[in-house]
Amino acid sequence: MSDSRPPVTLMELVLRYRRRIFLLAFLLYLVLLGVDLATEGRILPPTAYAYLLFLLLLLFYALPPLYSSRRLTRYYWERTRRHRLALLGLGFIFLLVAVALVGPFLTADPTRVNFKEKSLPPVGFSTEQFTFDITTGQIVTKETPGTWSHPLGTDGEGRDMVAMLVSGARVSLQVGLLATGIAIFLGVVLGIVSAYLGGWVDNALMRFTDIMMTFPFFLLLIFIVYRFGQSLELIILAIGLTGWTGTARLVRSEALSLRTRDFVVAARALGASGTRIVFRHLIPNTVSTIIVIATLSIPGIIVAESALSFIGLGDPTVASWGRTLSAGQRALDTAWWIAVEPGIVLFLTVLAFNFLGDGMRDAFDPRSEA
Amino acid sequence: MGESGCGKSTLGRTILRLEEPTTGEIFFEGQEITKLNGAALKNFRRKAQMVFQDPQSSLDPRMRIGDSIDEALLVHGLGDEKERWRRVEELLKRVGLEPEYAQRYPHEFSGGQKQRVGIARALAVNPRLIVADEPVSALDVSVQAQILNLLQELRDEFKLSYLFIAHDLGVIRHISHRVLVMYLGKIAELSPTQEIFAHPLHPYTEALLSALPIPNPHLKRERIVLQGDVPSPMNPPSGCRFHTRCPKVFEICPHIEPPLIEKFPGHWVSCHLHQARNVVGEERPG
Repeated sequence: MSDSRPPVTLMELVLRYRRRIFLLAFLLYLVLLGVDLATEGRILPPTAYAYLLFLLLLLFYALPPLYSSRRLTRYYWERTRRHRLALLGLGFIFLLVAVALVGPFLTADPTRVNFKEKSLPPVGFSTEQFTFDITTGQIVTKETPGTWSHPLGTDGEGRDMVAMLVSGARVSLQVGLLATGIAIFLGVVLGIVSAYLGGWVDNALMRFTDIMMTFPFFLLLIFIVYRFGQSLELIILAIGLTGWTGTARLVRSEALSLRTRDFVVAARALGASGTRIVFRHLIPNTVSTIIVIATLSIPGIIVAESALSFIGLGDPTVASWGRTLSAGQRALDTAWWIAVEPGIVLFLTVLAFNFLGDGMRDAFDPRSEA
Repeated sequence: MGESGCGKSTLGRTILRLEEPTTGEIFFEGQEITKLNGAALKNFRRKAQMVFQDPQSSLDPRMRIGDSIDEALLVHGLGDEKERWRRVEELLKRVGLEPEYAQRYPHEFSGGQKQRVGIARALAVNPRLIVADEPVSALDVSVQAQILNLLQELRDEFKLSYLFIAHDLGVIRHISHRVLVMYLGKIAELSPTQEIFAHPLHPYTEALLSALPIPNPHLKRERIVLQGDVPSPMNPPSGCRFHTRCPKVFEICPHIEPPLIEKFPGHWVSCHLHQARNVVGEERPG
């Protein structure tokens, strides 16, 4: 952090005034939010605000440490890189993020219904379709091949599968990242507070965690969605607010063992304050655990959203993979691709996150550190 | 000194207010410190510091060592960024490390080097007292000597006092001026180093000293081997705590706890054998 040389590069300047720049950006953010709340017409949708906050935090509190401790970063990167599957997973996730970001602008409208082109198979396949010919009054069987205008076919209402999968990717990543963000944040705060304060606070928080854990999480989700409505924001919030328990426990146990380590005792002997110990010693040393839990919990959350959509409790206005899957399931014998395609993408996504998480866990494992 | 579990580390940590004493008072430079808090405690923290046994865990693995040392200065608001960094480099040089090492992480150092960093961190606030909790017992013998010499140099240079916790008699003899022998949380004997090694009074001290190897193979000495384990400190034996293992135990030991008395000037002992009235010819050790 400190250096006797004057700042030379832009990055060092940013690093030096990081907190001030962040506060400025955060202030702008709040002003925008305030204006938005005060006026009738929305400037940005609610999830966009969550993303902005996410981005701000990432920009100021995740990237700078990676940069200022370049050598440590490179060390971990080298270790992750040795894991080929993790790299593959990371590649797939990058692809998915790119698709989710720019894809919707390139593909057809996923909500456009076109009954003339319903249930078209993917390119390279063909099916028999029955149509009622008005002029002859007979039902005709027609061999319909897949066309290049809909490379992955269409669903029962003629919507383009590519467009639906792309918009589903956006939904899944949204849910995965934001809900994980909320869950991890809550888990870390509760876990650290619990470990650091100890005593009755620890007891109260951990018993509360136990209760949350024994609660049938999925039933709770169903109840929340049923009671308060089926919007994507609500689903994200509900998953985030119930998914922090595992993180809280892990972070607590990690912090408990760190708290007795000599370097924390040394910091206390130096007269460092509680907040300083928490932010400079406890949290940085749990970061690797946190990253791994986060990566490993994203797929679970994506599946949870898909499952909710599958049983019909998802947001009806968005084409999530789960919803497409459940719609396709009813037409499995006539149009298998409607269910299979989102299934494959979902499977690959979950696998990619799991591979990445596994790879990072191995890379961060202190037992294998030199 | 004293064997494992006798409370050496606890005593050291309590003196630094890292653990709260259940009873009693601690005086440091005439000031009672068990009741200190807030600014007064922080001020006390500048005067008393600690060096740890395990150099591996005494440095934050995610901090550059420069930042670890800097933390001491930062917490006490000693100078601006430039001044602090200069001081960090100075400290590193003083403990025998290159100033450029400040940018490195703990895993890039050897145990001895990490211990040097730990010493630099303790020195950063210019303390009067350093509690060194077995600072060399985790190091190789050759490195032990280097660290001990460094500690001695620093003591003279910065007018430091050490509370040196150890169980290695050779190390104690090398570095200490006064030795306090503990058994199960109580003082057994307290004496200048020369005297305790020449004329130990407490049977426990005798047993400890008999474990010291003699560099002359022709000299034979009777080894006093203590039987059994240290009793549980949660439930210490009645009377003299050492009576269950003492080779010279006699009838009053299990019943009355011996007070700590100054047998000779500066030489304190807590043993019934050395109570003023009990100095009987036959029972005195040769």
